[in-house]
Amino acid sequence: MAKQTRSKRAGTCKQATSLITDYLTGTLDPEITNELEHHLGVCPDCVAFLKTYKKTIQVTQSLLLSGNLPELERSKQKALHKSIGSHNERG
Amino acid sequence: MVEAKSVEARSNRQYFTSYEETGELRSSAGESSRERSLVERLKAGDTDAFDAIFHQNVNQVYRRALRLLGNEADAEDVVQEVFLTVHKKAKTFRGAAEFSTWLYRLTVNAALGKLRRQKRSKEVLYDDYLPKFQKDGHHLVRPVVDWSDKVDDRSDQRELQRLLGQALEQLKPMDKAVVVLSDLEGYLDREIGKTLGLSVAAVKTRLHRSRLFLRGKLAVHLGYSPA
Repeated sequence: MAKQTRSKRAGTCKQATSLITDYLTGTLDPEITNELEHHLGVCPDCVAFLKTYKKTIQVTQSLLLSGNLPELERSKQKALHKSIGSHNERG
Repeated sequence: MVEAKSVEARSNRQYFTSYEETGELRSSAGESSRERSLVERLKAGDTDAFDAIFHQNVNQVYRRALRLLGNEADAEDVVQEVFLTVHKKAKTFRGAAEFSTWLYRLTVNAALGKLRRQKRSKEVLYDDYLPKFQKDGHHLVRPVVDWSDKVDDRSDQRELQRLLGQALEQLKPMDKAVVVLSDLEGYLDREIGKTLGLSVAAVKTRLHRSRLFLRGKLAVHLGYSPA
């Protein structure tokens, strides 16, 4: 019976894949975590999938961070501030 | 108040950049008495306090909007919209400790409104890039190739970044917002849900599906099956 429950939660690659997000955030139930890690221990396909999933997050983060986002130019700050002020006076 | 993903930071999500590293989010504990006083004065209609709050926060609002929108002109529009709202609705603040959270929500929602108007012609079908499974639950295409090392080895990093940037733009507006707020800014799923009007389960589903889509895009670019 316990085996059936296990197979419903992390027994297949499809199930394992659906659990990755919670697994990576550490918010997966400990019992299900064990089941998932058991699956990963015997499934090289899911290990490869997990590695590429994690790499995707890393690359996404580095892309979003790499932009070295600029500050809003002083002249534009002044113009916006003035514009907001005039809106407020009218409003 | 917005919290960082402390659980993740301590667990196997070490590859995430915490909010402290981005240097942009502040906790209520971090709000100085000067800031609290400014907010109280703002609520009382003090225009000097509004000016100070504008100058203190304008770049944070601008950068957050720029990150979500990828477009300077649109980000400037968001700055204007956000601070107009701050001025008009200052009296609705329940307390100084909520100000940064309120500002964050105003910014995200203003940017999301713009994203929704921008995106309609650009969206693509996610399904072509999601993993596929056999009836028994195994991966449809086996073996699944671990191409994670190939990403770092490639000489065309710019091309890779361009591709991923395009893929991010192809996400549905709400999905892109979830990815940026979670993976970059480190917000908790429940805080993202509150801001975007989604359940925690919906945030998780959108985040996972978006990452699968981005992963599929990378896989195809590198010459592998997304399945």
